[in-house]
Amino acid sequence: MIKKIVFYSGLMILVAGLSMAQVWKAPDQEKAKERAKERVKFVKEYKNEDIILHKMALVEKGITHKDITENYFLLDSPIIKEREDHYGPVRFAHKRHAALIEDCTACHHYRPKDESMSETTRCSACHQDSFNPEHPERIGLKAAFHQQCTECHQEKQDGPVTCTGCHLKNVPDHKDLVKLADGADAFEVTAECLRCHDQAGEDMLKTAHWNWRGPSPFTVEHRKDVQHGKGTTALNNY
Amino acid sequence: MQLTRRNFFKFMGVTGASAAAAPSSAQAWQSKAPPDPYGCLVDLTRCIGCRKCEEGCATVNKLPAPVKATCDCTVFEKKRRPDVNAFTTVNRYFSGKLDVLDKPSPTYVKVQCMHCQDPACVSACISGAITKKENGTVHYNVDRCIGCRYCMVACPFEIPAYEYHDPITPEVRKCTFCFDRISKEGGLPGCATICPVEAITFGKRETLLKLAKQRIKSDPNKYVDHIYGEKEVGGTSWLYVSSVPFSKLSFPELPETPSPKLAETIQHSLFSYLWSPILLFGFLGGMMYKFDKKDENTQDKGGA
Repeated sequence: MIKKIVFYSGLMILVAGLSMAQVWKAPDQEKAKERAKERVKFVKEYKNEDIILHKMALVEKGITHKDITENYFLLDSPIIKEREDHYGPVRFAHKRHAALIEDCTACHHYRPKDESMSETTRCSACHQDSFNPEHPERIGLKAAFHQQCTECHQEKQDGPVTCTGCHLKNVPDHKDLVKLADGADAFEVTAECLRCHDQAGEDMLKTAHWNWRGPSPFTVEHRKDVQHGKGTTALNNY
Repeated sequence: MQLTRRNFFKFMGVTGASAAAAPSSAQAWQSKAPPDPYGCLVDLTRCIGCRKCEEGCATVNKLPAPVKATCDCTVFEKKRRPDVNAFTTVNRYFSGKLDVLDKPSPTYVKVQCMHCQDPACVSACISGAITKKENGTVHYNVDRCIGCRYCMVACPFEIPAYEYHDPITPEVRKCTFCFDRISKEGGLPGCATICPVEAITFGKRETLLKLAKQRIKSDPNKYVDHIYGEKEVGGTSWLYVSSVPFSKLSFPELPETPSPKLAETIQHSLFSYLWSPILLFGFLGGMMYKFDKKDENTQDKGGA
């Protein structure tokens, strides 16, 4: 009996240890990451038909936004990363966009000429590397994403149109950038931050966090507050 | 042989005749444009004014970071020109065009060396420091430059900049068309690589011209029917298409004749077979001879 208890408790500790070692990862995010790494075969020829005809073809075949399986994609590809890498990928809520506008042809503007291929294809099937001399009229994947998203967002007056509205900037590894002696005090740490982010320092001096009284346009629910600051409502330790 | 008045006029007549024949026998001006250069097509309808091209240019050419690089719109309040530390700049223009909400819609214009097919700067350069390469680049070689800055005077686009702050080793600085990068197979200019909307299309100039014509033809409502750089100063490697007339966007109105044509024609016809120096010095020699003789006569008379 004691042997059994010892054995099972040992087994439980082992299982617990193993599961602790594995960091939990969001399955849909992992799937999206894997999908973003894929390369698909280049579609050389597309069917140059009127967008209305294309829309009708989709209706006839009964393809609607309900056929979408993935909730979202990461708009990323090795095609783009090969050239440059400044921003993180955009998380594009495919299903949500489709449900909102209920028009697949807003993005899936043409279909491959090969009738055996599916009616809608990925962006990266037709739009790959930029400046392909064989297809000069075909824009690259990065430009296709940007033109498609921004133009529609501008037209509909909805959705972000700035760089950081969709992307997170690739933050460089600060391990090498920050140069601080061991046991540095708070002032030294602040000075080190300001060495590069001097603008952030200057901006802070204009906020209610620094001034006795002043506006606080970026503080939620205090945007129109002109008498904010440590002289009135806010507390801080400066 | 004694040069009599008659002989002198004979000599002059012969030289004059040969001089008149010389320019026609000398070859007419011929373009030295490379047959199949690279180029870039800038589509101003696509440009969103993000100034990533300035950033990309600074990175690949190891220039200081552009002013207010982080999407700061106040930078557009002043029109900027390329200078020694920035080979390209983006300017904003309000031409009266309105967007969907009837708000003034900006047009952004990227400025850099146009890499002319027959560059005025190459023609003006007296030391051969600037050359037009086969791939379309107007290339500057600092080792040959003597700092005369004729290129700066000659350029119809006012592009070359000079390092006035450096008295010891000053250089003329301008867009290099990323010569080293595009000389490699599959290499791209820094600005074209980074552009998020492909407002800059890199390719062979012939292909780009076809592409530009196709874009204008497929959407004549959107574009003005003019490819800037197709014919200006005999053609440039960089081409522009726009929805706003180019005259409203500070593009200089230029003739279709290549800039070096007139100057080179005059120069080449003046100096072919050295006829003009021969004529000049012949004439001066004749005059000297004549007046010298006169002087002798007067001296003789005076001495007598």
